Amino acid sequence: MTVFCLGPIVYMVLTAMSRRADFLGPGVGFVFTAAHFLEVLRTESLHFPEYFRNSLVVSGISAALSVSMAAPAAYAVTRLAIPGRVAVLFAVLAVSMFPQVSMVSYLFKLMSAMGWINTYATLVLPYTAWTLPLSLWILTSYFSRVPRDIDRAAFIDGCGPLEALRKVIVPVAAPGILSTALLAFIFAFNELLFALMLTTDHRARTIPAGIALFEGLHGEIPWGSVMAAATLTVVPVVALTLAFQRRVVQGLTRGAVKE
Amino acid sequence: MDEDRSFRNMFRGYSFISPLIAFILAFVFVPVVGTCIDSLYRDVTFLPRAFIGLGNYLSLASDPGFRQSLRFTVLFVLASVPLELVLGLAFALLLHRPSPWRGALRACVLIPWAVPAAVAGKVFELICNFQYGAANYFVQLLGLADGPVNWLGSAGGAFFALVAGDVWKTAPFVAILFLAGLSAIPEDLYRQAAVDRAGPLQRFARITLPLLRPVIVVSLLFRTIDALRVFDLVFVLTGGGPGGSTTSLSLYGYDAFTSGDFGYGSAVSVVLFLIAFALSVAYVRIGRFGRELS
Repeated sequence: MTVFCLGPIVYMVLTAMSRRADFLGPGVGFVFTAAHFLEVLRTESLHFPEYFRNSLVVSGISAALSVSMAAPAAYAVTRLAIPGRVAVLFAVLAVSMFPQVSMVSYLFKLMSAMGWINTYATLVLPYTAWTLPLSLWILTSYFSRVPRDIDRAAFIDGCGPLEALRKVIVPVAAPGILSTALLAFIFAFNELLFALMLTTDHRARTIPAGIALFEGLHGEIPWGSVMAAATLTVVPVVALTLAFQRRVVQGLTRGAVKE
Repeated sequence: MDEDRSFRNMFRGYSFISPLIAFILAFVFVPVVGTCIDSLYRDVTFLPRAFIGLGNYLSLASDPGFRQSLRFTVLFVLASVPLELVLGLAFALLLHRPSPWRGALRACVLIPWAVPAAVAGKVFELICNFQYGAANYFVQLLGLADGPVNWLGSAGGAFFALVAGDVWKTAPFVAILFLAGLSAIPEDLYRQAAVDRAGPLQRFARITLPLLRPVIVVSLLFRTIDALRVFDLVFVLTGGGPGGSTTSLSLYGYDAFTSGDFGYGSAVSVVLFLIAFALSVAYVRIGRFGRELS
């Protein structure tokens, strides 16, 4: 299991650090070099640092927006009287099953008409909307576990619903909010189709699109550099996932598994 | 007065949920409706837009490229999803056993899930490299074939590479879901079974599988819908080749868009959307999510 999961990752890192990509071949052998990493970071025409920055900014803003809109909604769904709230939840869930390709052409036209292609808005807006169903479902699951007595106490102290949410529910459900934000961040960070279609250059293009189109710059695929870029890409998501392992697992399983 | 309060409460409820609804409407729902409308038009760059009714769909019916991509997509789902579920279950059972390494092992399993599919695609493209990729290195080391296998140059090899990449990336996700399901099974049941002298196979068939059923159903449908709309891995790993043999429906639609035919691409997307939507209705029905809320 460990070999299955980590084998390709180890191979990726080794290729990135090897002087030749064919280091497995007869009589070649592994010789360490940092040249590929330096090339990826320093070659201006590759725009890798820009892609990296774009990815962090776009995913960060999308995750923050997604959670800050899903939190009041989840609060309303679990606490306030909303006729048809189950229908709302199911409708939102059904929306999350829509294939991205069925919205990308319209988004392309919309963003072109607004003149937003190659700005952060072109990705932030769809990513926020696209991660909202996930955020709503996870937060609903977390909020429904916060005891009602806590907000009743807040109401008695004279808090309105917005205040109760901000001062009572959010602090109590902070771990849930963190896992939701992490998942939304990772989903946005890894997205490819919107990034390919809605950006054309380094001003807003994110890393997955950059990596997918890497070969276009040279004739033969420069495997060492591609793998170096891939390794650098994986670092933030894997670091986040491992650092908040429990949160990520909890977020993923809430909703799918009834405990 | 009570009525007044409940009315105010309802109003508040909607005002809390409306930003989310507005966002989803504007950037998911309206685009999908727009795509449905576009699919009824001849909408090609540099040509005047014209309403042609079901013209695009009629062209789809007689388009061998579309049929090929539909066939590939269905085969891809049928090949990868069962493998992912079986492997995911095996991993979950391994992870569930008490072991001092449990935390570290679970961390390993999370890594493929966190890696962007675009990166996974590039790594598997290198693994499948004809001359010096790891796949051919091991094939020859173990003497599995006479010579190097032309993975990405043959239709069968490319299909296999895509399934392998998808299984690598998503079997761990399934394992995480199953692991949570396993942890929810009360230990007492197994103790009782041990008292009744049930063997490990019997315990698995009589306790583990039936109690895991809801999680299995949810994972099955979730994975099916996800595999159906596969794009990232195909775009990066095979680009739909060789000869269009591994073009998924998502990629076929995308290719139509990038070549400027928005009407035709929209029709492809609508077909995919309808299949996914039918399955998602099934997902909601069978998943029985409502219970947790009440």
